[in-house]
Amino acid sequence: MSDVKNRTVNLLQVLLLIINISAIYFLVIFVYVTTESIRRHYVARKFLDNVQSIPTNPQRSMIIVLVMGTVLVVTFLYRHYKKTIENKKLIASLVVDFMVAAVIMVELDFNYKGLLLLICANIITYLAGNKTKFIMAACTVSGYLLADYELISIYMPLYRISEYIQYYTADVQQLLYSVVNLLNSLNIIVFIIYCVYVMNAQSGTIDEINKLNHELQSANGQLKEYAEMTERMTQTRERNRLAREIHDTLGHTLTGIATGLDAAMALMDVSPEQTRKQLELLSKVSRDGIKDVRRSVNELRPDALERLSLEVAVRQMITEMAQVSSVDIYFETEEKNMRFDEDEENAIYRVIQESITNAVRHGKAKKIWITIERKDGELILEIKDNGIGCDNIKSGFGTKHIRERIDMLKGHVEFDGSKGFTVTAYIPIRWGENYD
Amino acid sequence: MKVRLSSEVKAMAIVAVLLASLLTYGVYKQNKVTVLEFGMFTGSNWEVANANSFIIIDEAIKRFEETHPKVKIHYYSGILREDYSEWFSRKLLQGKEPDVFMVLGTDFNQYASMGVLKNLNSLMELDSSFDKDKYFTSSLKTGQYGSNQYALPYETVPTLMFVNKTLLKKEGIDMPSADWTWDDMYDICAKATKDLDGDGMPDQFGCYNYTWRDAACASGIQLFSENGRSANIDEEGVVESVKFIRRLNSLNRDTKITREHFNGGSVAFMPLTFAEYRTYKTFPYKIRKYANFQWDCLTMPAGSNGENLSRVDTLLMGISNKTREEKLAWEFLKLLTYDEDIQTDIFRYSQGASVLKSVTGSDTMENIVQQDMEEGDTVISAELLSRVIEEGYVEAQFRNMNQAMALADSGIADILENETTIDSGLKILSRSIENYLEQDNRN
Repeated sequence: MSDVKNRTVNLLQVLLLIINISAIYFLVIFVYVTTESIRRHYVARKFLDNVQSIPTNPQRSMIIVLVMGTVLVVTFLYRHYKKTIENKKLIASLVVDFMVAAVIMVELDFNYKGLLLLICANIITYLAGNKTKFIMAACTVSGYLLADYELISIYMPLYRISEYIQYYTADVQQLLYSVVNLLNSLNIIVFIIYCVYVMNAQSGTIDEINKLNHELQSANGQLKEYAEMTERMTQTRERNRLAREIHDTLGHTLTGIATGLDAAMALMDVSPEQTRKQLELLSKVSRDGIKDVRRSVNELRPDALERLSLEVAVRQMITEMAQVSSVDIYFETEEKNMRFDEDEENAIYRVIQESITNAVRHGKAKKIWITIERKDGELILEIKDNGIGCDNIKSGFGTKHIRERIDMLKGHVEFDGSKGFTVTAYIPIRWGENYD
Repeated sequence: MKVRLSSEVKAMAIVAVLLASLLTYGVYKQNKVTVLEFGMFTGSNWEVANANSFIIIDEAIKRFEETHPKVKIHYYSGILREDYSEWFSRKLLQGKEPDVFMVLGTDFNQYASMGVLKNLNSLMELDSSFDKDKYFTSSLKTGQYGSNQYALPYETVPTLMFVNKTLLKKEGIDMPSADWTWDDMYDICAKATKDLDGDGMPDQFGCYNYTWRDAACASGIQLFSENGRSANIDEEGVVESVKFIRRLNSLNRDTKITREHFNGGSVAFMPLTFAEYRTYKTFPYKIRKYANFQWDCLTMPAGSNGENLSRVDTLLMGISNKTREEKLAWEFLKLLTYDEDIQTDIFRYSQGASVLKSVTGSDTMENIVQQDMEEGDTVISAELLSRVIEEGYVEAQFRNMNQAMALADSGIADILENETTIDSGLKILSRSIENYLEQDNRN
């Protein structure tokens, strides 16, 4: 909202307030002064013949309306000068305005309903587009419709300002009518101008929002590209590390063994004793190699699995995934002792990770259920989500890796994309068998 | 030295202050005197002199204050009847009208339409000791606007026919019976109208001040619809009534009869109110006014299709719609209008009749009225008076009824004066009154 527009809106608001306060003060003081004049001239009974009804107590009405008018000014100044107001206090001040307006209208026997335009203008300005604004605006509009003099006068006797005006001589009458009509018309005109300005100002805000939104979207796109690039870089780095590990450990050991075996073959006929020593050495080297390989594999394992048990690692991963992707993930298992061989744990961990990633990325799932159970010596791992699923499962849809990993363990895996997406893996675990 | 009060002491102090203020309020409430404002005028409602108008009210106030020790009733004294309407209107404009007040017949519909008067329906229904059927139907109806009771009757006065017995005797005419008709009245008037001094113009007359409205009552016609939206001025009964008045007037040729003629004893009939009857039958007015002839009163003559009905005029009392003491106001209103002793006092100290059937129809009433009269005078019987009031004619109440009636009055006076055709004249008049009513309703 530009400053010029802001100033204009403020000015119009002040103008609306001044017109309304003038109107109600004028009416209520006019009725009181007229009543006193009628009494002074002893024409009360004659006056009554020409009226439908009279105010309950003009003096009391005058005092009440004067006080209530001040309240309107005070709440206006409060909203105007206090820059930051809590939403609750803001609504409270608008509700106070509304009730004050109602009291004033009742005191004026519904001879003036322009106040509701003032209230409506305030609601439009101060309340952001939410339910409260809608409710209060609806209240005000229905109030404006129902607070109609002609409508209410059917049900209860109300005095009419024109009947008080008619007490005066024709030229004064003309003047008074013009004042009343002028105030009424001015109020409506200023209100309409005000609405137009506020609408203009608010449509400016909407343009700004659209622009920002656009910028946000392009930034998001860039971010995705970066992410993909990072993933590719990580992959390359990981492959290089793998190559180096194989080269450093396995390559080194195998080369040593091959060379040692060659030497053993040469020595075999010359000196069986030497050969035996050579073979013992080779055996030691190969054992060292196994140790190295094991260490390498350990290093290649996911960090969590290296440090923690499978269950704890899986739970930690779930927590992290749930945190970053706002998905509810439920993990359930009846297996108390989840200690398997490292390759098995690795495969299970990776399958779960891959499945969650697939569910979130492709399935747009909000809930994921993971169960691990043991049946007929097999471990059944099921990952189920409530995402969009898919009709025919394409290979490479994130499922390829999973299948590979399970195949390596001589298990099999099933995919079902009919109701969300379900991955069910059957793994023949080597219960109790040791790697060594 | 600073003394620090412990929180217990503070709490005790607060409790003590609260208790003390509560106690003070209780004592104040106990001793507080409620003042009930009563609006009334001095003198009689019936345009006759009345020196005793305060006696009944003072008696009622005394009795009320005895049974309600914490209540004082205050009234403004010295407001004349002719000023009362203006006085009350001024109070009303200020919003400071009394709680209970007298309502003049000419003000009632205006006030009721403005919402000044409290609707008494629920008060009447909730009060088990109250039976509205104890009032005369016509009196009760005077206080109704729309279908609601906005005021209760206090005192009522029917219109009766005043008969110059001396004149009738001289002309050898018998006193008419209570169920006499227009034809009887016309015959007597024709016989009584005479040129005694031989100047070619009559100087003894049949009747004075018998108007088209008296005649319309006797035909049983309601001049306006209940809601005040249409006028029935052009209906058969009204046409007959106006025609009858024209016939009566034609007997007098062009002589204008005045009150002086009647007072001088040269008119046979004159409608007068029960209040006038009582005033002029008693000392000192009896001697001053009608010393030279004997007179009595009679029911009004019945119209061609009607009965011996006459207008009743009722003084009403109402409660302000704004009163804070609704219950007290109702009790006081009930005491004034519903209590048999207070209502009996109306015969003692005022000139009207009670609005309660049991009081007006009692022997006590006859005795009280007899006390004021001479031995030879016949007192109107309780039964006849009750009948006249009960069957009394009450015009529908609506806003601006007085203005509409004034229009009808002047229009019909024109018709009678200018010798126009009655049927068409009334049709035109009826339409113009309906135009007025329509306009008024639209406002």
